[in-house]
Amino acid sequence: MCDELICRCEEVSREEIEAAITDGAVTMNEVKRFTRAGMGLCQGRTCRRLVERILSEKTNTPLSEIQTSSYRQPVRPVRSDLIQEYNNLEEEQ
Amino acid sequence: MNLKKDVCVIGGGVMGLATAYYLLKAGKSVAILEKAEIGGGASSSCDDMILLQSKKPGIALTLAMESLEIYRGLSDELGSDLGFYSHGGMIIIEDEKQLKIMEDFVKKQVSYGLDVEIVDRNTLFKKQPHVARYMIASTYSKSDSQVNPLMLMRAFLHNGLNMGLDVLRNTIVQEIKQQGDHWNVSGQNGIHVECDNVVIAAGAWSGQVGELFDIEIPITPIKGQLAVTEQIAPIGETNCWTAAYIASKHDPSILGDRSSYDKEIGLGFSFTRAGEGNYLIGSTREHVGFEKATDFKAISKILEQARKYFPIMNQVNIIRTMAGFRPGTKDGSPIIGAVDGFPGLYIAAGHEGDGVALSPITGKSVAEMICGVGNHKRFEELNLRRFAVALAKG
Repeated sequence: MCDELICRCEEVSREEIEAAITDGAVTMNEVKRFTRAGMGLCQGRTCRRLVERILSEKTNTPLSEIQTSSYRQPVRPVRSDLIQEYNNLEEEQ
Repeated sequence: MNLKKDVCVIGGGVMGLATAYYLLKAGKSVAILEKAEIGGGASSSCDDMILLQSKKPGIALTLAMESLEIYRGLSDELGSDLGFYSHGGMIIIEDEKQLKIMEDFVKKQVSYGLDVEIVDRNTLFKKQPHVARYMIASTYSKSDSQVNPLMLMRAFLHNGLNMGLDVLRNTIVQEIKQQGDHWNVSGQNGIHVECDNVVIAAGAWSGQVGELFDIEIPITPIKGQLAVTEQIAPIGETNCWTAAYIASKHDPSILGDRSSYDKEIGLGFSFTRAGEGNYLIGSTREHVGFEKATDFKAISKILEQARKYFPIMNQVNIIRTMAGFRPGTKDGSPIIGAVDGFPGLYIAAGHEGDGVALSPITGKSVAEMICGVGNHKRFEELNLRRFAVALAKG
């Protein structure tokens, strides 16, 4: 079986994403929670659109109706000690 | 859409899914009404601990121990990897005052059958080579475990669907009406479920569900923020907590020199390594309603602690932050059981930070109560009526 890698950070294949949908996932957040696609270093920047397309195909939902998964700070990986430095700077201001 | 089911479960988080699973297994037909999507509340914004050591000796500890026993066989039963590990846990102790409290606490827990002990500095440093050197001792229990709530929800859902479970998402319950000997539950989207039993497993939102039939379910959202690190190799043998947080529940003066900000956000410390290698670092206990954003200052405080206790964490990258609403009750114990005066109505909510740990035992027990199987006397003290009694006593 040729596994098409969708989420590179967490190494999640198309097959695994389809299996999660078969298991009952119907939203982007559910696919993310069940497969980890989008939970890695890039937080879904690379794979989000690809997963949305697979979900749209598998659930017969127009792509425009697929709600994107939720994301939170930080925008990119930040070293733990720098977070505090920034916070200290902010407090001084 | 109209459905006829034996049981309607309100809430599609870990608690609702577990309850639905055990009901289906007992032969009941079940629908889950979920206001948004699976695991949209606390169940996806939490850590993965099945922590026995933090439990008050009594029903809390007993249930946690029973739940852990269920967990040991649950992967096989559900046919899925649940990310369940028993690496043990340690509560690290900073000073003599904390040590004294933890010694008493450990003694009580041992009397309830938990295998927990106090270990000295050398043992602590051996098990946690990167812990700050000023620590004087630690507790250690090899029973403390962890489970991946996301994998758990997937497995409950998948098994449930195979047994005929209906999951109705984006369904906000607007009416719960008793009609003769059954209930009618209606959503805002025209979904109606006629059923014999209703289980409220709506986590932090359970109070809002109670308002639909004028019952006060005293559960409030307690916001907990967490930081998620990149995946790294284990820096110690077990997951960790600090005695300060646990000891402060018994003697608040322990935290005397904390800043007013730390008190305001209810800063505590938990440190666990998920199966994939991400550390989940927490946490806060904030009373801010349903305001879900994570904030920089609180996260920075959480990380400050992590780096104080484990200086090696200086260099690690944070890839995400998250906040979840823990369903909190006034006395810190969950509400489990039937609701007086409303035959067929049950609550399985209010577990605050223990929902993942206690979901199997709660779901299984509520399912048994509904099926009229087994003896559940020990749940009496967790019944909703305890608050009415407290109110009456004034």
